[in-house]
Amino acid sequence: MSQRYFEDIATDDELEPREQLPTEDKAVEFFGRDNPTNPAFGDAEAGRRMGFGGALVPGLLKLSWITNYVGMWAGSEANLRSVRVAFRRPDIAGRPLTLAGRVVDKRQEDGVNVVELEVVTLADDQPTVRGNVQVEIPSRP
Amino acid sequence: MADVTESKITDEHRAMIGQRSDPIEVVPHTEDAQRMRDLLGDTDPRWADGTGIAPPYILAMLEPRLPAELSPQVLSSGILTQTEWKFSQPIKLEEPLQAVTQLIDVRDRLGGRYGYSVLVMFQTSYLNGDGEEAAASLRTITQFDRPES
Repeated sequence: MSQRYFEDIATDDELEPREQLPTEDKAVEFFGRDNPTNPAFGDAEAGRRMGFGGALVPGLLKLSWITNYVGMWAGSEANLRSVRVAFRRPDIAGRPLTLAGRVVDKRQEDGVNVVELEVVTLADDQPTVRGNVQVEIPSRP
Repeated sequence: MADVTESKITDEHRAMIGQRSDPIEVVPHTEDAQRMRDLLGDTDPRWADGTGIAPPYILAMLEPRLPAELSPQVLSSGILTQTEWKFSQPIKLEEPLQAVTQLIDVRDRLGGRYGYSVLVMFQTSYLNGDGEEAAASLRTITQFDRPES
């Protein structure tokens, strides 16, 4: 992973999109196979009984993908301040998700460089999760 | 769906705002961090093996269930619609944290995909051994009445 510096970032910079393929197996593995979770995460039939088109992708898995996506973009000298997401619609296992993001603000707060990003997960080009991430980014040495 | 013009939030519901749960001990486990890192393909050296630091998304494993005694049941169904994670300090692996959940707001929402709904917001603070907040999560549950079938 490469390091990003505050001086090199501009508002409207776009993050390179990243594709993820959520599966029932990943959902179960994410929480650990010995940990009980919502049955609809690992069982398409359970998801259908709940009125969805198959197994549900856990919101916390999508939130973690977003956290990691921005973290990898920012680099290991950056500090994540906050990640806020709104779950707009359910995602179904087996349907690819694209993570995309862009810088919406950069500013200094009490001498700290803060960059704010909007991030989305897209399924069939429709946003399923919308998020805002604040990250502290170092100045170029 | 019937139109609702008056709030269904009662004084009794509002009186619950500010109430806190008893602390619950949660432990960020090394094996959970490893498994999650591998699944996400995370190569950040800050929480690589041997650092003793947990990746921030370890919160997904720590979040306690929302305590029923803090959850006003205004409408019949509920779904998690928003989550926010805030980070103040690195989270250390195997170091117990005290998780304290507080009901922070209950408010009406008119319109939107659920029609009349109620937003119920909780904050969970994760306190380290020194009593300092290492991280926090805010969860919003949207309550709604299922349409009769």
